[in-house]
Amino acid sequence: MAMRLERQPDEVVDRDVTLTFTWNGRTYPAYAGDTIASALAACGVRIFSRSFKYHRPRGLLTASYLDPGCMVQVGDEPNVRGAHRLVEPGMRVRSQDTWPSLAVDVKAANQLVGRFLPAGFYYKTFMGPRRLWPAYERVLERFAHGGEIPDLSSYQRQDHRYDQRHVHPDVLVAGGGPAGMAAAVAAAAAGATVLLVEEEHALGGHLRWGGDDVRSALRELRGRVETAPGIEVLTDSVVLGRYDDNWVSVVQRGLPTVNERLVKARAKSLVVAPGLVERPYVFAGNDVPGVMLSTAVRRLVDLYAVKPGHRAVVLSANPDGDAATEALRRVGVDVAHVEDARRGGDIVRVHGRDRVRAVELGDGRRVDCDLVVTATGWTAPVSLLTMAGAVPAYDARAARFRADPAQLPDNVLATGGVVGDGSLDELVAHGEATGRVAARRAAAVGRRWRAASPTAHKQAGPLVEVADDAPPALPVDPHPELFRARTHGIVDFSEDVSSADLVTAVAEGYESAELAKRYTTATMGPVQGKLETVNVIAIIAEATRRTIEETGTTTWRPPYAPVTLGALAGPEREPVRRSPLQSWHDAHAATPLVAGAWIRPDHYGDPAGEVRAVREGVGLIDVTPIGKLDLHGPDVPRLLNLVYLNRWSKLAVGRVRYGVMCAEDGVVLDDGVTARLGESSYLMTTTSSGAATVWEWLERWLQTEHPDWRVHITPVTTAYASINVAGPRSRELVRRVVADVDLDPDAFPYMHVRTGTVAGVADCVLWRIGFTGELSYELHVPAGHGLHVWEALLAAGGDLGARAFGVEAQRILRLEKGHLIVGQDTDGLSRAGSAGLEGLVKLDKEDFAGRPELAWQDQQRDYPRLVGLRTTDPTVVPVEGSQVVADDGGIGGRVTSSRMSPTLDRSVVLAQLDASLAHAGSEVTIAMVDGTRVTAVVTAGLAQVDPEGERLHG
Amino acid sequence: MDDTTPVARSAISPAPPEIVVACWAVSGRRSTGALTLTDASPLAKVAVRADPDGELAQALGVRFGRTSRRTDALDSVGTDVLVVGSGPGEWLALGAPGRQLALTEQLRGLLERRGRVSGAASAELVTVVDLTHGRALMRLTGPAAAELLGRECAVDLTDAACPDGSALRTAVAGLATDVIRDDWDGTSSYLLHCERSSGQYLFDSLLDAGTELGVDVDGFTTPSARDERRTMYDF
Repeated sequence: MAMRLERQPDEVVDRDVTLTFTWNGRTYPAYAGDTIASALAACGVRIFSRSFKYHRPRGLLTASYLDPGCMVQVGDEPNVRGAHRLVEPGMRVRSQDTWPSLAVDVKAANQLVGRFLPAGFYYKTFMGPRRLWPAYERVLERFAHGGEIPDLSSYQRQDHRYDQRHVHPDVLVAGGGPAGMAAAVAAAAAGATVLLVEEEHALGGHLRWGGDDVRSALRELRGRVETAPGIEVLTDSVVLGRYDDNWVSVVQRGLPTVNERLVKARAKSLVVAPGLVERPYVFAGNDVPGVMLSTAVRRLVDLYAVKPGHRAVVLSANPDGDAATEALRRVGVDVAHVEDARRGGDIVRVHGRDRVRAVELGDGRRVDCDLVVTATGWTAPVSLLTMAGAVPAYDARAARFRADPAQLPDNVLATGGVVGDGSLDELVAHGEATGRVAARRAAAVGRRWRAASPTAHKQAGPLVEVADDAPPALPVDPHPELFRARTHGIVDFSEDVSSADLVTAVAEGYESAELAKRYTTATMGPVQGKLETVNVIAIIAEATRRTIEETGTTTWRPPYAPVTLGALAGPEREPVRRSPLQSWHDAHAATPLVAGAWIRPDHYGDPAGEVRAVREGVGLIDVTPIGKLDLHGPDVPRLLNLVYLNRWSKLAVGRVRYGVMCAEDGVVLDDGVTARLGESSYLMTTTSSGAATVWEWLERWLQTEHPDWRVHITPVTTAYASINVAGPRSRELVRRVVADVDLDPDAFPYMHVRTGTVAGVADCVLWRIGFTGELSYELHVPAGHGLHVWEALLAAGGDLGARAFGVEAQRILRLEKGHLIVGQDTDGLSRAGSAGLEGLVKLDKEDFAGRPELAWQDQQRDYPRLVGLRTTDPTVVPVEGSQVVADDGGIGGRVTSSRMSPTLDRSVVLAQLDASLAHAGSEVTIAMVDGTRVTAVVTAGLAQVDPEGERLHG
Repeated sequence: MDDTTPVARSAISPAPPEIVVACWAVSGRRSTGALTLTDASPLAKVAVRADPDGELAQALGVRFGRTSRRTDALDSVGTDVLVVGSGPGEWLALGAPGRQLALTEQLRGLLERRGRVSGAASAELVTVVDLTHGRALMRLTGPAAAELLGRECAVDLTDAACPDGSALRTAVAGLATDVIRDDWDGTSSYLLHCERSSGQYLFDSLLDAGTELGVDVDGFTTPSARDERRTMYDF
């Protein structure tokens, strides 16, 4: 650690804990608390990266998160801010986009052709011809800057975790410098809950390197923050944006369990206290390693005890430059020359390629040195204020853009350097006053919100708006306007945009700051203008011979700081629905079928065998996802008559009826059976996927059209495990587990319902219905007992050959029987007549949903029909969705369902056909996906198995 | 409930060891952690619908957004019942395991009993549905409970906005969930009530989100083992 200084009073490194890490394969030591850059700088490393376009060597500029010269690769994580990320033991750090090495990078040859890479080079060069785009892409990829993701799979494993958090502080303070800390403490003292967000690893802002004068003040402020009740501090965290109603997003980094967290805060008051950002100076060679800002010197010396160089020249225009000079002298750096910009001093050129060797002053003198320090002004990071509605204006006296706090909404306040200057006492006093106002306004907002919330226990007092006093104004110190020397240099260090590029852009007509920005990409790099915006505007103003006020600034938009897509996406959360029988399905090798949110058993390895078991013996299927709605009230029949096509007024207790619902346009919405369980008690079933839609549909009619109807709807889909027992021996099996229900066909016929005890479980609902076309019983069992009943049925039916069947077998069975599936055999245009449901449409009913459209359809008669098809070649199974070709070669319809039938040993097909093709015996042509065509004949009905329904009614 | 009653299973797989409490297979795990998650699905869960401003609403005495713990006539054996104002004209009554039928009958007969006292029969439509098997219920307890929920729920759960006795329906981990603040001896505690089919998903999501906060699974316990002063499980 050749450049490591003796122990410094304010250093943040822990010399008792020594770590090692690698940089480009070589091992380096570090102390706990070191950043990657500070540890390397302490070992004499001066080059950390190569620049974006010209691959010029880059060193430390700000020694902070914003440092554009310290983007590094850490393990498989690209684009890590090396001047901010703390060293961890064993960390593998390497430079990005350099070949063969950081020291010798062949792409640095770009510098030689730099004059041929002007502003807009990419736009001009890669416009055409279009056929060369693939080649262009390969070239551009090769030159794309940034790190790499060597192992994509690591992002899919648990190595990378991102999450989110919602918080609701009364006051959110963005910035933990002296004003921000004072605001937080004052707000907390006024009873507010406070979230204090600080980008650095510790609170304090510029006080951290303020030396003896402010050390006690910093200690006291930190102590007050620590002991104040109700303050939560997030360090290494940045406010990304402020949105309507103070929805504030914060990215939190450096967490032990997640890579990054997005904190979504709904703050009643927002206090913006980001301080000031030091601005680089533009001159020839201003990006040579060894040129840095005065705050970088203070950070390196005071926080990390690193000597920034051996022999320095300082360009100072303010007290911070003077303080940096003092700091350098204090630690033994030979300050060869101080150029005072307040007295007209200037630096025009740095000599050296990979390190500073000398500097040329404004008067032509040359001074040998290895360190050039500039202190030429500040940028007020007004992003959050502009997001809240303020329009920053240039203040020539202070040489920076400032936002007028009067333009802000009541729930946004500002304090600290972003507002003005002043002594530490003035900043703290301003912060405290701002914090108190923020707390009072937050309390008023809270009272309003609680008054509107049903969860509030009691109101916390009368809704009286408390008048608040505005914080006092902060003085604004004068500062010389210093942006560029008489030479050209780098303006945007991230994008390698020079002041010459900006002048060229203006000469080409891009005089607007917004256009010049986009043309040159200045301010569009990872630093996002925080260092360079004011310089960019000043240079455009100079080139256009306008004032900076006239030129105006570009627009600040969220996010203020970079955030990973992982943090924005958050953890993977996609609700999954499981049946009570899922563990059994898993244990019996069921192939899962994702049906909406439900996980269902598609089959257990042999769907054809499962079909045969049902046709010949008995099978069980888990149909829990079927939607179930408990309907209660005297007006249920009116509701059923309204939403179903058929009549419901005379459904007797114990009876079940099939119904189809259509929307107002007559298009089939859903179907299912509904049972009358008691005098005013009904149980409606829906399709599995339609459960939520139907519930909303019913509630919509009740709440908007018929609020006078006395009906209550309770969704009970998952209250029951639903098991369909199907097959000619199903009655025999059910009889073995049901004691208190007479299963005799005369006592419990088809389309009836009973309640009883199944396998010892009371309050089960038994339906005699059948989607499969077989004699079947659908057992709705209190869900917690579902597995018990399922296993009891399988055990009881062992000698009957009872076996489970899955959704695939069910689909085959229902297709053999010609039962339609809404949404598969119908589509968004299928009105009832097109689904073979004409017989259900009771146009003589008083009214029902879809009636006018269905009446119109009834008169038309030329609508598409759902038909059964029998392929001429019985082994051919046209893929669902295959087109049916009309006589004129056009589209005459499509196959909606198709399977090979194990029962018939031939294919079974349903199709939607034009009316002209849809009559029984009609021969149609189906276009197969492989381009061949097959013929099929329209069958007399939809059912291919048991069209008379003898098995179903048995 | 006799010995032949089959054991019921919650939607949430019990963390070992599995034991049977009140005819429900539950986790017998005991946690001493400061933040615990317990599958409380065995509790009786009864949904009530009625006029939000009607007689039943008066009889229940709980408005939308609030809860009330009652030991009066709601349960004939006098155990605690937590009545939750879960929606406008919508309540959820939570009672001891196995008490769902009794609780259902008591709620159905509430207006009739009041009518007998007042001499005026009620014509109000009241719907009472036993949802004990249809919903999953879990309890999250500990000082950091609100912070954990804040990882998965956007609603303001601070004490000021959501004090003890609050009830709201919102999305937790993207799932429609009733969040019920029901503190336990001064410690923050929330009951989370959702569709049974997604119970395991919600439980797993909370455990995943709470890793950093040290959330731990605590089994479903009997009153004698947990707190003599309480008269029912997990209340």
